[in-house]
Amino acid sequence: MAEVFTRLSSRAFALGLGAVLLIAGCSLGGASTTSTGASSTDVTVWTAWGGQELTAYQKVLKPFQDSTGIKVHLITIRDSATQLSINVAAGTSLPDIAPGPTIDKIEDWAKKGIMKPLETFMEDKMSGYLANTYPALTSSSTPLYIGVVNNKHYELMVKTQVKGLIWYNKKVFTGTPPKTFDEMLAIQPPSGAKLFCAGLESGDASGWPASDQIDNIIMRQSGEKIYTDWIAGKVKWTSPEIKLGFQTYLKEVSAANVYGGPNTVLATNFGKAGKPLFSSPPGCLFLEQATFITNFFTQDYPNLQAGTDYAFFPHPSINSQYDGNVNGFYDNFAMFNDTPAARKLMQYMSGKDAQQIWVDAGGTLAANKLVTKYPDPILQQASSIVAGAKNVLVTAGDFMPSDMQHAFWKGLLDATNNPSQLDSILAKLDQVQAASYAK
Amino acid sequence: MDRVITAGVAVVGVPVVLLGYLLLGERILERLPGRLQSWFRPYFWALPAISFATIFMVYPTINTAILSFYSRDSTEFVGFANYKYFFTFPDTLLSLRNSLFWLVFFTVFSVGLGLIVAILVDRVGYESIAKIAIFLPVPISAVAASIIWKFMFDYQPPGAVQTGTLNATLGTVGFQPVAWLSNKATNNAALIFVGIWSFTGFCMVIISASLKAISSEVLEAARMDGASEVRIVRLIVTPLLWPTITVVGTTAIITALKVFDIVYVLTAGAYDTSVIAVQMFSQLTSGGHFGRAAAVGVILFLAIVPLLVVNVRRFQQQEEMR
Repeated sequence: MAEVFTRLSSRAFALGLGAVLLIAGCSLGGASTTSTGASSTDVTVWTAWGGQELTAYQKVLKPFQDSTGIKVHLITIRDSATQLSINVAAGTSLPDIAPGPTIDKIEDWAKKGIMKPLETFMEDKMSGYLANTYPALTSSSTPLYIGVVNNKHYELMVKTQVKGLIWYNKKVFTGTPPKTFDEMLAIQPPSGAKLFCAGLESGDASGWPASDQIDNIIMRQSGEKIYTDWIAGKVKWTSPEIKLGFQTYLKEVSAANVYGGPNTVLATNFGKAGKPLFSSPPGCLFLEQATFITNFFTQDYPNLQAGTDYAFFPHPSINSQYDGNVNGFYDNFAMFNDTPAARKLMQYMSGKDAQQIWVDAGGTLAANKLVTKYPDPILQQASSIVAGAKNVLVTAGDFMPSDMQHAFWKGLLDATNNPSQLDSILAKLDQVQAASYAK
Repeated sequence: MDRVITAGVAVVGVPVVLLGYLLLGERILERLPGRLQSWFRPYFWALPAISFATIFMVYPTINTAILSFYSRDSTEFVGFANYKYFFTFPDTLLSLRNSLFWLVFFTVFSVGLGLIVAILVDRVGYESIAKIAIFLPVPISAVAASIIWKFMFDYQPPGAVQTGTLNATLGTVGFQPVAWLSNKATNNAALIFVGIWSFTGFCMVIISASLKAISSEVLEAARMDGASEVRIVRLIVTPLLWPTITVVGTTAIITALKVFDIVYVLTAGAYDTSVIAVQMFSQLTSGGHFGRAAAVGVILFLAIVPLLVVNVRRFQQQEEMR
């Protein structure tokens, strides 16, 4: 073996080896310097978006890049919130702009100056932002959820969405939309059909559609205080308010009220849940879901038209005192490095023109209420719900510790399957609550 | 672009550095006195492999074990809290129970069926066709196989058109459809069945190969002495196959313990079907709890080690017999 090596010129080898190491050193050094410095020509943005949402965002960024010459380095990081926390904890470099962190980090990061308040960098756009953004997105009885700490805004709202809408087939349900939850339950479906459809299967996240349903119930039944305290782990699952919420939800998926009974609800994928609305004869009257569900309607029935074939009404009132509570979500950006380029981008995204591009790309509402032209009547109607909201309340599970969230989903599946075991299911959720909120 | 260069350097650079190491090292070794040279050379050659194994296997294993004693974000020492969680929490206990189901039923059925099929096809003329049919699921990736079965298990409410193959079949013979994957009475069995379906072929091939190695003289002698076929299988074939069955069996047990893809694709652990590996994954990803995920990993590791030892011993015994 040794002879083979000695026959080759070892000097040539040493030279080659040195060259390789040199290149390696240079390229590694180069990589570490690209994303630092207060640049006025480059800005790094993290997003969790992929697919259609990413394409839409690229469309939003294009006019900005063309007109300012600033280059946006867009990086899709699915778990961007987790990655942010890791980088903050490790003290490594942060993107200039990224969606705000999980709720537990907001106060801490704001106080440590990791996120910069909008008030310091929006300049002349700040007053317009506050005046033109839907009020529920800039002021709330639960400010942390919209990134407000000590009256300073740390999250720039760019788009929003409402959930808990009750969808129906206009050819089947022709009555007036019910105003209250009890009125809705009292509606008589045509013979052979049930009042509701539901589908809770969603792989690893099975059960989440039910959590949306129960969120909408609890926030309207017991109010935003109980709702957010519950999210924060300060209200027990066995408390009367949460138990009542579960009991109310179980009416929507009882064997008497739901298409196919609980078995079908558990086995049906959320995307397919609405199919029986349009089958003939119809299987059910109503399906509760967010606006995205229309994509699934047209997947199964390509000829359906929004507004003529299907429509929705807002979630009916349960306790009129809490009618201003609307379940929704909002996409936001926070700034982590105050650079001239990042400032310009944040200011641009708050504007009506940028958000109109988002809206035109479909499937979302703007956060800016000056955007009034929506591509379809569904979104148009949904925008009026946000406009009338007092609080846009986030989906509870998304802001709970993730093991709590998963236990919540699982508990809903179990309760749907076995309503009689509700008490023991809630007791088990209390156990998870005690364990998962502790550090 | 930077990454491309880095990748290129890694692909070209690492072999060159290795080669340089060997070359320079050999030059130095050559100058050493003879005895020292022959003592030192094996270590010198083994060192790169050992260091790779240390960096990529030993270190992560030890680090995982250390992390399992730390909190969610690995900043705080919590002692055995993560292990206590694993052995007291209903969800994790359930996944432990399911893994035991897998261990018992998956192993017994896939090895048992593999053995039976191997013995039976050995006696028929269409052996290769039968073997191909049984072996066919083996090369299919578990994810693809699970998706196939997801369609097979599909469920629609009674009265609606059944889109799942199994329920459509049940319907034509007049039974109510079964929600295979969400009904807790059937779902674990359904998942384990998919596992057996995809693993029996593997067991069969290995056992069959070892069956061919049994000398036909032994069998003929037994037949001459008037032994029945059942008796031959029970008293001659099975004992001779025993070392092979042990190896296949331990492999099956290891496969059962670390099963992930089938469960993840078909139910993702919902409806009480979670297993240890799925638990580890969800603790890490959706749970974001590094400590608990590491603890589950360590438990899985400790459960598998004895089996590995058995397997390695078997191999050694077989080597010695040769």
